[in-house]
Amino acid sequence: MFSFTKPQHAFELGGITFGGQPGEHPTVLFGGLFFKGAPEFKTASTHLAAMLKIGEETGMPVVPDLFIRKEDYIDPILSFLEQHMPEAHPFSVDIIEPSLKVKVLESLHDHDLLARTIYNSLHIGVTAPERETLKRCTPAMTLIVAFNPKDASPDGRIEVLENGAHLLDTGLLAVASSLGIDKILVDTAALAPGENSGAALASLPVVKEEYGLPVGCAIHNVVEKSKWLSRYSSVKATVDVASNAGIALFGGDFALFGPIEHAPVVVPLMAWFDMVVSEYAEAYFGVCPSERHPRRVFYP
Amino acid sequence: MTARCVTSSVVGSYPIVVPGSELMAQYFAGENVSWYPYIADAVGDMTEAGIEVVSDGQTRDPFIQLFTRRLGGCRVRARTEVVGPIVYRGGITVDDVQVVRRLVSPSTKIVGVLTGPFTLMKSCIDLFYHDERACCLGFAEALRQEAAALSWFVDEVSIDEPWFANELPAYAEEAIGVISEGSSCPMRLHVCGDVSRIVHRLVGMPVDVLSHEFKASPKLFDAYLQYPSEMGMCIGSVRSDDVRVESVEEVVAHLRRAEEVFGRRVVQVAPDCGQRMLPREVAFAKLRCLQQAKEVVYGG
Repeated sequence: MFSFTKPQHAFELGGITFGGQPGEHPTVLFGGLFFKGAPEFKTASTHLAAMLKIGEETGMPVVPDLFIRKEDYIDPILSFLEQHMPEAHPFSVDIIEPSLKVKVLESLHDHDLLARTIYNSLHIGVTAPERETLKRCTPAMTLIVAFNPKDASPDGRIEVLENGAHLLDTGLLAVASSLGIDKILVDTAALAPGENSGAALASLPVVKEEYGLPVGCAIHNVVEKSKWLSRYSSVKATVDVASNAGIALFGGDFALFGPIEHAPVVVPLMAWFDMVVSEYAEAYFGVCPSERHPRRVFYP
Repeated sequence: MTARCVTSSVVGSYPIVVPGSELMAQYFAGENVSWYPYIADAVGDMTEAGIEVVSDGQTRDPFIQLFTRRLGGCRVRARTEVVGPIVYRGGITVDDVQVVRRLVSPSTKIVGVLTGPFTLMKSCIDLFYHDERACCLGFAEALRQEAAALSWFVDEVSIDEPWFANELPAYAEEAIGVISEGSSCPMRLHVCGDVSRIVHRLVGMPVDVLSHEFKASPKLFDAYLQYPSEMGMCIGSVRSDDVRVESVEEVVAHLRRAEEVFGRRVVQVAPDCGQRMLPREVAFAKLRCLQQAKEVVYGG
């Protein structure tokens, strides 16, 4: 159970609060859409509606994480978003290819969606064209993936935030600041080879204490890629969703929990863990849960 | 022409750009990040230029973090902090020089490069020893073990101690001696900058070869004339702080001056210092020029 001495930032976007002391605000849950193949919008709308509904029921904030893999998919995905998402509700765009990131940012600008956008993500692979575009088309919030190829420890995450581990001219926090992005979520980079989940979880309180920024990760990725767990295929999905509990228990503020279809399990699961954390945080540290915290929803 | 075995060498670092985007692509693919392609690029340039004693190019990290990152008791964040007793935890550069060994022909020699203990101590924030000598000797003991491990794979070990040019502590010989004890290879001590004030101490160091930036500081020739010794000399012959590529004739004249001062004590020629700060094409052109000049003066 954690409470941090460093004052904690709590960023608000579209009615969702990211950050704060453990037990104060519920864990923000990012559900992934369109990760495989061509976007399938009918199924996606069903899953999105289900996630929004269970989020509303439990008091858990949910955000769709839209994976965009091709330029052809940009406009259809943004149109889908405009049709199926509540107005002003935030979303994240998850893009790997640097040139595609530029095109997506420009489209978000054209669709007037940047004020709702969480950029996924800034990291040591940031390119000059990407930086230039981000200055012109600035999203409301960004994830920073604190992956340090030189050092997988929590200190390595600090290093890459501070000075880019000498792979960039400045640290990633300074990069975000230079782009005019103040609302920063630090992703402690769980997708380390060798199932190196421990460092990603241990980094959550370390980074949070150092900067007071909201922290989280996609710990489920480690489960998804686990080879030994594949031998126990009947429980792999259970471990996948359950792995997200570690984020709440280590003081994290958000979880990129995997495919959106896991939401019906992950959302109540995380509500339960958030309530456990909140109970003790209030009893021991005097941290009161926010108005829409699941503890208030279920124990009004 | 003076026919004897004078070799061309490097001081340490070589400017290979490691693109963050490539490293992130490996991260997103869930692969282990490999530094070996970058080592291969550095070694490829050195051997193509004809250099006879090559290094690993120190592409992995700046020369401080390269060592402190892998030592117990050191925590690398924005800078290295010494937070406990400095402990050698196994090979630091050993894997990289083994890669070099596989890349080069049997006739090509390898220099293993260590950052000196005084420079490491001065570049860190000491939160544990609160005593410069103790901290320096802690690093020296760790480097002794690294030198011993390297001795199996390299033909020479070079200690890079740029900080000696600013401040030469009373225990400098002791610290260098600790490392020399560990190596069965010839030892070289590289001190860049203007060392004319400390030549009388340098000639008594427990090493086999002294290396300095004679090209940027030709007045060092005069300083050495005052302190005759039997110490072998590595003559810095192309500048590492200037993008202008020297002509072969200019470097030949420089080497002839070295011959006048040191005679048969000249055993190596090298760039003035590590070449990390130069553009790659300039660094390569300087190595090629160095080799050509060396062949004019000492043969191929």
